[in-house]
Amino acid sequence: MAVRGVDPDEEKKSYGTVFFVGSILLVVVGLWSVFDDNITRRVWKVHQAEFTRTDYERAAAALAKEQERLNADPKYAELVKQRAAEVASLESGEKGARLAELRELQQRVEVEYFDADQEVKFVKSELDEAWYEFDHAVQLGQDAGPYRRHIQGLQAQQRALEPALEAARKKRVDVKAEIREIQGGVRKIDDQIYALEGDKRKWQRQMDNATVTVGPEGFPQFTLYKVPSIQQVVLKDFDRNNFDQQVERVDRCQSCHIGINRSGFDDLPQPLTTHPKRTVFLSDAAHPPRVFGCTVCHEGQGEAVNSLAQAHGNVKFWEHPLLEGNDVQANCVTCHLNVAGLEGAQVVARGQQIFEQVGCTGCHLVEGYGDIPKVGPSLRRVQAKLDPAWMVQWIQNPREFRSRTRMPHFYFEEGDAVAAASYLWAASKKEAEEWLKQSPMPEGYRPDDAAVVEKGKELARSVGCLGCHGLSEGEFTTRIAGKDLVPNLKDIAAKVGPRWIYHWLRNPKAYNPDTRMPSLRLSDDEALALTAYLMTLGTKPEPNAEVVARLEEPANIARGETVVRKYGCAGCHDIPGMEKESRIGVELTTFGSKPLEELFFGNDTSIKHTWKDWTFNKIHNPRVYATERVEQLMPHFDLPEEDIKALRVLLHGFVERKVPEAFKADHSERARQILEGRRQIQEYNCVGCHVIDGEGGYVRKYYEENPTLAPPPLNGQGEKVQANWMFGFLQNPENPIRPWLKVRMPTFGFDGPHADVFVNYFAALSEVEIPYVHVDEAKVPAGYLEAGRTLFSDDYFECGSCHVRGDKKPDGPVEDWAPDLNLARQRLNPDWIEKWILDPQKLQPGTKMPSFYPGGPEDILGGDEKKQIEALTDYIMALGLQPATAAKAEGEAAEPGKEGVEEANKQG
Amino acid sequence: MNRRFSSLVVPALIVTVTLALGAYQGAVAAGGNISGAVMFKGDVPAPKKLKVTKDKKRCDKSPKFDESLVVKDGKLANVVVYIADVKGGKKLEKKGVTLDQNGCVYQPHVLAVDAGADVTILNPDKVLHNIHTYSKINKPMNRAQPKFKKKLKVKFDKPEIMEVRCDVHGWMGGWIFVAGNPYYSVTGEDGAFSLTDLPAGKYQVQIWHEKLGTQTKEVEVKDGETAKLDVEFAG
Repeated sequence: MAVRGVDPDEEKKSYGTVFFVGSILLVVVGLWSVFDDNITRRVWKVHQAEFTRTDYERAAAALAKEQERLNADPKYAELVKQRAAEVASLESGEKGARLAELRELQQRVEVEYFDADQEVKFVKSELDEAWYEFDHAVQLGQDAGPYRRHIQGLQAQQRALEPALEAARKKRVDVKAEIREIQGGVRKIDDQIYALEGDKRKWQRQMDNATVTVGPEGFPQFTLYKVPSIQQVVLKDFDRNNFDQQVERVDRCQSCHIGINRSGFDDLPQPLTTHPKRTVFLSDAAHPPRVFGCTVCHEGQGEAVNSLAQAHGNVKFWEHPLLEGNDVQANCVTCHLNVAGLEGAQVVARGQQIFEQVGCTGCHLVEGYGDIPKVGPSLRRVQAKLDPAWMVQWIQNPREFRSRTRMPHFYFEEGDAVAAASYLWAASKKEAEEWLKQSPMPEGYRPDDAAVVEKGKELARSVGCLGCHGLSEGEFTTRIAGKDLVPNLKDIAAKVGPRWIYHWLRNPKAYNPDTRMPSLRLSDDEALALTAYLMTLGTKPEPNAEVVARLEEPANIARGETVVRKYGCAGCHDIPGMEKESRIGVELTTFGSKPLEELFFGNDTSIKHTWKDWTFNKIHNPRVYATERVEQLMPHFDLPEEDIKALRVLLHGFVERKVPEAFKADHSERARQILEGRRQIQEYNCVGCHVIDGEGGYVRKYYEENPTLAPPPLNGQGEKVQANWMFGFLQNPENPIRPWLKVRMPTFGFDGPHADVFVNYFAALSEVEIPYVHVDEAKVPAGYLEAGRTLFSDDYFECGSCHVRGDKKPDGPVEDWAPDLNLARQRLNPDWIEKWILDPQKLQPGTKMPSFYPGGPEDILGGDEKKQIEALTDYIMALGLQPATAAKAEGEAAEPGKEGVEEANKQG
Repeated sequence: MNRRFSSLVVPALIVTVTLALGAYQGAVAAGGNISGAVMFKGDVPAPKKLKVTKDKKRCDKSPKFDESLVVKDGKLANVVVYIADVKGGKKLEKKGVTLDQNGCVYQPHVLAVDAGADVTILNPDKVLHNIHTYSKINKPMNRAQPKFKKKLKVKFDKPEIMEVRCDVHGWMGGWIFVAGNPYYSVTGEDGAFSLTDLPAGKYQVQIWHEKLGTQTKEVEVKDGETAKLDVEFAG
């Protein structure tokens, strides 16, 4: 049996010290926890209190200053004096006596009125009761006669009382009105003072907002600074949890950043300062912080308020740390469909341009960027085009030949480059030979005739080549400065021969049906001259049988197929036999939220382990993370640092986020049309020649001496021209509006859907419905056509002094000519013509077209300028009817044409 | 009686004082002048004849020459001499001026006008002109002046030197100098200029020519004296 042992020594032990130490510790820890919870973790309280104090003090100072200013204002002082005098006059003298009398009277008439009113009310309630009894009796089938009589008696009573009530009411009103009139002087002065005190009230309000008044009414009250409180914005359904359920986002940033949307605190340090671009980003039309909070753009951990690091999300495993500076623009794309042209989104828009145009989408899939066409030229018939030795060199190092090319550097060793070329050479053989059969060396090609070369040079610089191509080092007319989006032709002879060039110039689509190179509708002579000139640019290669032999080796072809496939050449180029190849790079749709753990840094220890550093270095030097074991394929694009940073901002915004409609910017059909149109404009480099939406027209730099000979700017085009005209013109621009220009609108060979994209784009930009314009001459008011003709004529405005009308050309040099008005009927929107005549400078600043109004003649249409402008518009719209009719409308001898014109002429 | 007298005296006094003050503001009681001539050193090319390319009947009445460099005996014409910043001194009179287009040429070639003053533009040519200013400070203007509008009145509110051209007749070009203060002078064939009644002080005098650019000279003006300033442009 076990015996429970008793240890007497143990019994005698004292634990007093342990308990004592323990309780001391408990007290300390307790105090510390209170301190920690209320002081150290409540930094925002300190910030808020500081801001409130500053806010109050500044308002008080401003108020004092304002009061000083008011006191110094003689008008204000005079008003105060007047008011005092007026008040004094109400307290004594004649007016004062009358006022006192009236006040006394008012009390009396109020009582009188109340009594009279009361009496009538009593009768009325008795009447209600009587009516009830009457109705009740009728419903029960009893004799209602006595009740009716009772009612009639009461009604008579009411009628008898009413005059007294009316008299009492009138007296009351009269007395009130007289009092009001006597006090009117003061009120009037008060109104004037009120108008002067606007600023004073503003500061007063600001002071009131920064304080609270405590204490019960009627007792001495205290004014204290406002107690700091959590400033919280809740964004309903903004986020999704891991189960794809919508959850709220809580944003408490403004608990510290309390002055973010208050003007005039720019000088305060963070977190109290005003947003540096407050008017752009925080306006009610943009992202008012009371609705959007801060984290929608800036990320961070919105709920956290305990410490700076936590709130800014700079803690381990928080996936979206604070974005600052340009990085914030990454988030523009989560809500905005169109960032191009968006104020404050320049960097991300630039990143987007680069991403779309240098070929990233060839290898990487990103949602919303899947439809972008391949950026490289088709290699389907490349054997017919290139010099074989040049091709090998190009594949090995493209930038050695063209420093600004988009084609990236793959760091191929010579064997791989030869192999890739061999495959492409072999794969294109069949189609190349077919094309060559139909495209013989042109007869009459005279490369040695200096006059022909000179003519070619003149053509190259005038007909429109410069709208896209550079012809010498550093020349370019595309949007991105870092890369040539269209080849520079300074060395073209080293690459291609005259036979290919000639046929390519005459009909680019015959060589490659999908090319974006347009036809300039060159005549045979022109194409020959241009070819001769282009062949003088660069050194012609010697035929190299050795290289050809290497390219035709079967082993090289087989190796080449592997190389071409492995490096994803078909991502950018159309290659026979590789039409179905998929993109070889990783999908980047959610790359922006890729956690650090998933980024492979290789063996390089010099790069900081952050998403930003990884991404920058990957683009800067794509093979930087390669190790002996892990191969990397991405080629080197040689982008300037600034462009890499812009690209990184865009990539940062590639996150999976389903923003609810309520927070999204414009995603309408119109916005989509603008996006689609912008991409197509980029693809065909329309901005090389034309200013569109305030940007582009890069070719204009060659026309500084005579800007009127440059291609026209297309601002406001959607409003200006008829949609069906534009639709037709884009498909076939052979009928030029400015026939005197040497530069030609090329034929891009757009099909209906492509032309439609442009028409919709311009209509959406101008915010017009696609206007279908129907002109009905019968509806032109009588005499308008005749009046328009007179105004148009050489006796008045002399429009023909500059404007072409079909075959009728103006005097003087061509650079002073203006567009053909015979085309107006088909082309222009009459509403636009009216606006244009009224104020051309407003629609197109700097235009040669002068404004004729105000200043129309007195003797036409009664001098009514609005009518004159309408008449001119009607006449211009009638000009293009038919040659005969137009001539008639001009008042020259001609056969009668359309009825409307004839009619109008008779009446006029 | 006494009272009546004072009721006459007070308004009279006010009138006198006002007049005196007005006179004080209008003219400088004591002041100095700057005067001199603008010279051109270098080879003077023979004036280029302008080709009249349209409306010959109206415009080709007399031969026209390029006026962008007019030199006679080494003296340079069409130079604007002005001081941009003067404190006090004379008031701007805002006197109206005329720009004539007779025979499709601007006369004068360089027009000086006070800011805010009327410029009357004449068109006796029986042909359409337009007045297109290439201004950067004033709002650019491009007004048509059809033949029935023989006079056109315009105003320029801010000091600026701007080119004016007619888009209908490519050869027509001239300049308008809009002055912010009355201290300016445009040289004629003798190249001479003078700025008068300047308050004493140091000034930066600007000498502008459409082709040869602007020179700046510092000149000190003393009361009652005329400071001499000769300027030379090299071709």
